[in-house]
Amino acid sequence: MQTIPIVTATADMVLAKDVKRSDNPDGPPLCGKGVVLTSSLINRLENMGIKTVTVEGHPVWIEGDVTIEQQLAALERRFKKVANLPLMQSLMEMYRLQILRSMGEADGR
Amino acid sequence: MDDKRTQVRNIIKDTKSLPTLPGIITKLNELSANSKSTIQEMARLVSSDQVLSARILRLVNSPSYGFYRVSTISNAMILLGIDVVKSLCLSSSIFELMETTALGLWEHSLGAGVAANIISHKLKIPESEEISTAALLHDIGKVIIKIKFQEEHEQLLEIIRKREISSREAERELLGTDHAEVGGWLAKSWFLPDKLLEPIAFHHEVHKSETHQTKTAVVHLADVLIKASGFGFSGEEFVPRIQPAAWKKLNMNVQLLEEIVTELEEKLIEVKNFSLDIQASHVQ
Ligand SMILES: [Fe+2]
Ligand SMILES: [Fe+2]
Repeated sequence: MQTIPIVTATADMVLAKDVKRSDNPDGPPLCGKGVVLTSSLINRLENMGIKTVTVEGHPVWIEGDVTIEQQLAALERRFKKVANLPLMQSLMEMYRLQILRSMGEADGR
Repeated sequence: MDDKRTQVRNIIKDTKSLPTLPGIITKLNELSANSKSTIQEMARLVSSDQVLSARILRLVNSPSYGFYRVSTISNAMILLGIDVVKSLCLSSSIFELMETTALGLWEHSLGAGVAANIISHKLKIPESEEISTAALLHDIGKVIIKIKFQEEHEQLLEIIRKREISSREAERELLGTDHAEVGGWLAKSWFLPDKLLEPIAFHHEVHKSETHQTKTAVVHLADVLIKASGFGFSGEEFVPRIQPAAWKKLNMNVQLLEEIVTELEEKLIEVKNFSLDIQASHVQ
């Protein structure tokens, strides 16, 4: 799944997460996971102040986006100095999963 | 090398030599010292500066704070507290510098502010606004080093890159001090409260923070996480370890950490847009 700015959402994308109001994250969802977006729905969400939505796959290629391989290599390099510490290893693993998820792989669902 | 440290310290102490301290802060300090002045008076003062007001409203309405649709400066002051608005005035002028001189550092600071906010909410730590502000300002020393010691700054970047050492190690070698200590001096000369000063001065040495160790621990963890996520650029590439003192102070566990990381990564997408927004508004 990928979280994208609502302005880049297009019809036919599928919500991978409930859409909630950012000023009331514990309230009822405005729109449920699994719903297929339409342009009128996108408009309505935008008007309600929704800034981002999480959708299935990795449909939007934002400028500056890099490939999974590049992202994982950069991650490993960042952790180079602390790779021997168990806690930092688990932190790196968390970020590895985040990267995979954001690129639409291993959704972990 | 101690001579160098004294030299740096004297430059920071001589606030007149700091071009970034806006007159409005001095006036705000005077107003808030006077118990008779009202929030409205202070708000009027802040509102007299259009650019500053716009920036404060943007910050209050930014995802890192999570208040939405705050449209007046006096509401911002009531919501955030006067101390926070004061440091926002301060940080907004610092940010102006950072945006134009070091966008990567600005993003790093903004991201750390967001991370700190998430951590303090998750762990139900009070005064989360202050903690976010401290996180926004935590690397303020780097900005001053960059402005005041341009030549050394170039060398610093080169040493850090070539020898793959941390900013602090390089700064200690070249300046006899580091950006955390410099930030602490700066906070002191700007009369920032200790709850902002300690996290700034000790975000790389949590155990040295005496009265506000929890806040310092949050800012430290926020700094590590934002580096781990690769968001922005603090001036160095490598993620430092989470300090055991911080881990213990916050009563952290891996499960909690994972929840924080997930929430942070989601929020950062919004922040990225916010940051693009500000860049766009500068071009206009
Ligand atoms: Fe730092
Ligand atoms: Fe930092």
